[in-house]
Amino acid sequence: MNSMSTRAERRQEFVFHSTSFIIFGIAIIPILNALKKTNATNIQVVSPNALSMLLNDLYIILLTSLLAILLGIVCAFYLEEWLPKTNWVRRLIESHVAILTGIPSVLYGILAISVFLSYAGTLKVIDDVPSAQNTEVIPFQYHTTLFLGEVLIFILMVMPVTIKTTQEALRSVVTPVREAAYALGASQWQVLMRHVVPIAFIRMLAGGCRAMARAFATAALLMGTYIWFYATETDGMSNRFLLFLGVALVLSVFSSTLVEIYNSIYNSNSA
Amino acid sequence: MLREEKQPVLRIRHLNIWYDDKQLLRDISFEVQQRQVTAFIGPANSGKSTLVRCINRLNDFTPNFRSTGEILFKGIHLHEASDPTSLRKQIGMVFRKPTLFRGSIYENVAYGARISGVNQSERLDTIVEKNLQKTGLWDEVENILEETPAQLATGQQQRLCIARALAVEPEVLIFDEPCGELDPIETVKIETLVRDLADDYTLIFATNKRRQAARVSDVAGFLYGGELVEFGAIERLFTNPQDDRTEQYVTGRLG
Repeated sequence: MNSMSTRAERRQEFVFHSTSFIIFGIAIIPILNALKKTNATNIQVVSPNALSMLLNDLYIILLTSLLAILLGIVCAFYLEEWLPKTNWVRRLIESHVAILTGIPSVLYGILAISVFLSYAGTLKVIDDVPSAQNTEVIPFQYHTTLFLGEVLIFILMVMPVTIKTTQEALRSVVTPVREAAYALGASQWQVLMRHVVPIAFIRMLAGGCRAMARAFATAALLMGTYIWFYATETDGMSNRFLLFLGVALVLSVFSSTLVEIYNSIYNSNSA
Repeated sequence: MLREEKQPVLRIRHLNIWYDDKQLLRDISFEVQQRQVTAFIGPANSGKSTLVRCINRLNDFTPNFRSTGEILFKGIHLHEASDPTSLRKQIGMVFRKPTLFRGSIYENVAYGARISGVNQSERLDTIVEKNLQKTGLWDEVENILEETPAQLATGQQQRLCIARALAVEPEVLIFDEPCGELDPIETVKIETLVRDLADDYTLIFATNKRRQAARVSDVAGFLYGGELVEFGAIERLFTNPQDDRTEQYVTGRLG
C-alpha cells in the first residue's frame, strides 16, 4: 500500500510521525526535570544479605511479569482487534511503541540508575545502622519508592516489546480464518477465543519471554559494571548479577525454542 | 407466472460502495428470489466479490469502507439489523479458497452448532452426518472424521467448507468463486452440488466463468466496472442480451 501512496499521503505521514515524535519529547521533559529537581534527603540503606536481595528480585520479577506482560497483551489486543488501522489513538501508540522498542536497552538502565541516584541522593549501602541524625534508615528490600521505581523502569522496558510482539502474533492469524469464522456467525469474542488466541498464544509467550530477557540482560549488564568498579565483599551484588544473567539466558533460550516450535507447527500446514 | 408469486428474499436498491475515494459499485438494484441460483458474472475487479460480501456484512471489517442505498433481507434493512452475527447465521458464505479450522473434520462441521451452544454429542453426530451427506462427502470421510482436514484434496476441502456452512442452517448461501482453485473434475462436483442445493436454499454465486454461470444458475447479473449492466433470466442473458457489453462478454469478446 505504501508504494502506491500519493505525495499528499506521504506528506501527511511525515507530519503525523514528526508530531508523534514531538509529543514523545514533550512527555519526557517532566521526567528529566524531576530527576534534576529532586531534593536529595539522606537515605541510607542497610546492606542486605544475599537472600533478601534475591527475594527482592523475585518480587520484581513477579510484579513486572504480571503488570507489564498482562498490560502489554491487553493493550495489543485492544489496538489490533478493536481499533481500526486508521484510528489516530492506535497510530499514536504504535508510533510511540516503535520509538520505545527502538531505544537501546542500556539507555533504560542508565535512566534507572539516574532515577535511583537523584531520588536517593546520598544513598549508600552501609554495613551497620548509623547513628547520624536526619538520616532515614530502611532495610533495602522494604524501600517502597526505590522498589516501585525499579518496577516502573522494568515495565517501561518490557511493555513496548510485549505490545509489539503480541500485535505481530495477532496479525499472524490470517484474514481468511477470521472471515470464515465470522461468515459462520461467530461473534468477535468467539473468533478471538477460538481462533486468534490459540494460534497466537505461543508467539505471544515467546514475545513476553524475549521482552523479559531484554530487561534482565540490561540489569545484569549494569550490575556487572557496578561490580567491576565498586563491589565490596558484603553487598551481595555478584549473586544478583548471576541470578539476572541466568534468568536472561534461560528466558532467551526458552523464547527461541518457542518460536521454533511455532514454526514447526504452523509452517507445515497453513490451515 | 410462479416466479411472480414468490416473495423476494433479498432486495437491493441503489447500492453504492466506496473504498477510500474509489467507487467500487454504482447504483446496484436487483432482487433475489427464493430457492433459485442467482449468479453474478463479470471480469476480474468488476465488483462481484464486493457485492456478495456486502450481503452478509463482511465488508464491515474493512476500514475506509462506505456504502449508501439499502439491502433488505426478508423486508428487514440489513444495516439496521443490530446483530450481524445472527444475520450471518442466516446468510452463509463459501469463499474462493477453502479455509478450514484447526481440529478434526468432525469439529469443522460441528463448528456452527458449537458456537450456537449445542453440546450434546448425539445431536452433534446427527448434524455432522446429515451435512456431510448433503455434500456427498460422508462416504469419503466416514472413517477419518477425527483426523485433520489438511489431508483432504482441495475439492474435498471445499465441499467440507460447504458442509460446515450448511450445518449453521442458513437460508441463503453465498458462493464467492468457489471453484477458483479447483481442477475440472472437482469443479463439476461442486456445480452439481450447487444445483442440488437450490431445492432447499437460496443461492448466490459469483464467478468469472460464463459457462459455469450458464450451467448452475437460474438468474444472472452481469457486472462490469462496478455497474450492474444487465440482470435477468440466464437463458435470456445468453441468447438475447439487451446491452452491447453483455453480448460482447457472453460471446467472449470482452474481459
